[in-house]
Amino acid sequence: MSSATGDPALRDPARKVSRRAIGYWTTTALIWEGIFLAILTVVYLVVLPERWWWATAILALAVLGALVEILVVPRFKFAVHRWEVTDTAIYTRSGWLNVEQRIAPLSRVQTVDSEQGAIQRMFGLASITVTTASSAGAIEIKCLDHDEARRVVADLTEITGRDKGDAT
Amino acid sequence: MTLPPDPPGPTGPAHDLPPPGEGGLDAPPSGAAYDLPAPQAVRDQEWHRQSPRMLLVHPVRVLWSMAFPIVIALIGISRSDSSWSIRLLPVLVVAALAAGVLPWFTTRYRFTDTQLQVRKGLLNKSEKTAPLDRVRSVDLESPPLHRVLGLARAKIGTGVDETRVELDGLATADAAQLREYLLLRGAQGRAGSPGTLREAPPEAGMPQGAPEGTAPQTGGPVGLPQEQVLAEIDWSWLRFAPFSLSSLVIVATALGVLFQFGDDFGVLSQDRVTDTYEWVLAQAIIAVVLVGLILVIVGWLVVSTLNYVLQWWNLRLVREPGGTIRLTRGLLTTTSTTVEEARIRGVQLTEPLLLRAVGGGELTSLATGVGSGGTTKLLPPCPRPVAESVGHSVLGAGERLLDPTGAAAHDEGAGPDGTLDGPLTVPVRSHGPAARRRLLFQSLWPTLSLTAIVGGLSWWFSWPWWIVGAVLVATGLLNLGTAELSYRNLGHRLTPEHVVSRSGALQRQRVVLERAGVIGWVVRQSFFQRRRGLADLLATTAAGPEAVTVSNIPLPWAIELAGQTTPTVVDQFRSAGEEP
Repeated sequence: MSSATGDPALRDPARKVSRRAIGYWTTTALIWEGIFLAILTVVYLVVLPERWWWATAILALAVLGALVEILVVPRFKFAVHRWEVTDTAIYTRSGWLNVEQRIAPLSRVQTVDSEQGAIQRMFGLASITVTTASSAGAIEIKCLDHDEARRVVADLTEITGRDKGDAT
Repeated sequence: MTLPPDPPGPTGPAHDLPPPGEGGLDAPPSGAAYDLPAPQAVRDQEWHRQSPRMLLVHPVRVLWSMAFPIVIALIGISRSDSSWSIRLLPVLVVAALAAGVLPWFTTRYRFTDTQLQVRKGLLNKSEKTAPLDRVRSVDLESPPLHRVLGLARAKIGTGVDETRVELDGLATADAAQLREYLLLRGAQGRAGSPGTLREAPPEAGMPQGAPEGTAPQTGGPVGLPQEQVLAEIDWSWLRFAPFSLSSLVIVATALGVLFQFGDDFGVLSQDRVTDTYEWVLAQAIIAVVLVGLILVIVGWLVVSTLNYVLQWWNLRLVREPGGTIRLTRGLLTTTSTTVEEARIRGVQLTEPLLLRAVGGGELTSLATGVGSGGTTKLLPPCPRPVAESVGHSVLGAGERLLDPTGAAAHDEGAGPDGTLDGPLTVPVRSHGPAARRRLLFQSLWPTLSLTAIVGGLSWWFSWPWWIVGAVLVATGLLNLGTAELSYRNLGHRLTPEHVVSRSGALQRQRVVLERAGVIGWVVRQSFFQRRRGLADLLATTAAGPEAVTVSNIPLPWAIELAGQTTPTVVDQFRSAGEEP
């Protein structure tokens, strides 16, 4: 991603998210795009029976967008989403059009939460949220393998438990 | 040293207990271990009520809050001449007075060896406690009625969050004494428990015993009431009052009112009037508009000046021996705000367009868990050099406090170039042509969309086409001008102790954040920013606005800035490795 930039750039975080995340993202995209397209189609068939060309064009664009969202975006996201936890810091990268890299020193971490939605559970995935004393500083690692997430939470809790400051 | 070894007083009373008689009297004064004498209320450890003078304050407050309904009721009564309702009114007033007096009887407070307890309520009882060794802020406030009666209200904060224990109805002198005592005790309590002192990342390996040295260093020998005055009100600053942004809101309201009157005049100009009359009327309208304009300007001057005087009367910003910064001000309502210096993570210098034009600025402190949204206004609109030098002295002490070893022996007065520039005056590094191009291109979007809308409208209503051209040119120039302005204001700088970010188009602000106050980084790149090699860099912090943004900075500079600020954290993720 950052090939066009100068020398002292950030390297990629070492670890990828679970491969099953592609399936998870595809499924959620299928559900949302399905609902969206269904509503659009009903409007197209029932409310606009004249079949104006621009209405057809909008519907076609929506279908195209949905296909991209379902087939391309999950793979793209998988390529971009990365994370890494070292002894001193946590480092993540996320997004696909707008890319975001986040770094927080573990000495400033306040809470470590993990959560698992219903669909995530189907795929054996879990997300971890690490918060600091700044509301702008929360870091989320999405779609880790379930067991790995549990391990990371345990590690993080252990490491951050060592520091006793108020982390501000 | 966590607590002075006091003999066991009644520290854990049963909750339904009334004041526990003489229990605490034979305990030695708990203030003995401190250099300040403990106030009477702390020493006797008994339950206290608010000052009896509050019996006057409470009913007035209730009546005041009910004033509007009572007036409405009076009007209603005067219209419907039924005599029973007139008799009802005194009953209502007495009920209101009783409701006002009630809190005085139900509110009690006392100090034990370790904490302040405040009990409230008749049916729904509540008890709030504040551990004395963790007191971090004590703010005093005296609304006009309190002042007439010589009373004050104290708000005592103990944690990072903003919930505070309120102690109303203290005599002014007692409140002042209590404030000083509580703050000192809080500071000493924290110095004694090293776990609560934060450590900066560079000195992460330091043994935890180090904070022992901080307490004496905060202000020399503790207990000597020597305070250093950082700023006092200078009434020549009053000239800046009309230029501050808050007055603009008032003027806008006034303008709105004026337009209301304008409508009334509009009734006159109906088609029936003759040509001559119309001409006279036109002159009259111009006169009315002119007079209105003058009125608005005069009103603006008066209102903003009055507001300034009311708010900033008797302003004093002092550094106190206990390691706190104290701000007192106010003409009718006096307030006293105390910010612990160790919690001040930075300052912000704000220059709204009008104020900047006359060389003024406003100074705000960024602290963790103090003030509204972590910010406290330190100075009113005042000359920029004043704001800068006061800002520097506020920052400087916070630094020495943070770095008791003096290892990073940078004199903040001297900039990296050896000049006498501090973080508030040092020139910032501009973000270069890519940032400028992006800002200019970004400003085209609103121009183009507005032009498209106007184009559509003029096609629909068949307006003349020059309107579209005029809109395009006018908004285009305006937006490009603003973008150029925001490019000129954009910049960043790393000083020995601080990260500096300057931004804004019409309102320029310079945010200075302590390096040690940075608790994380976010590098954000939108699609278009990636194409230009730019990024938004956010230094997250617990103080003030939660994050300081350096926007549209070239990506390598962003990484460099983050890396130099917190090398131990960032360098391990840089592709160039340990290399500087």
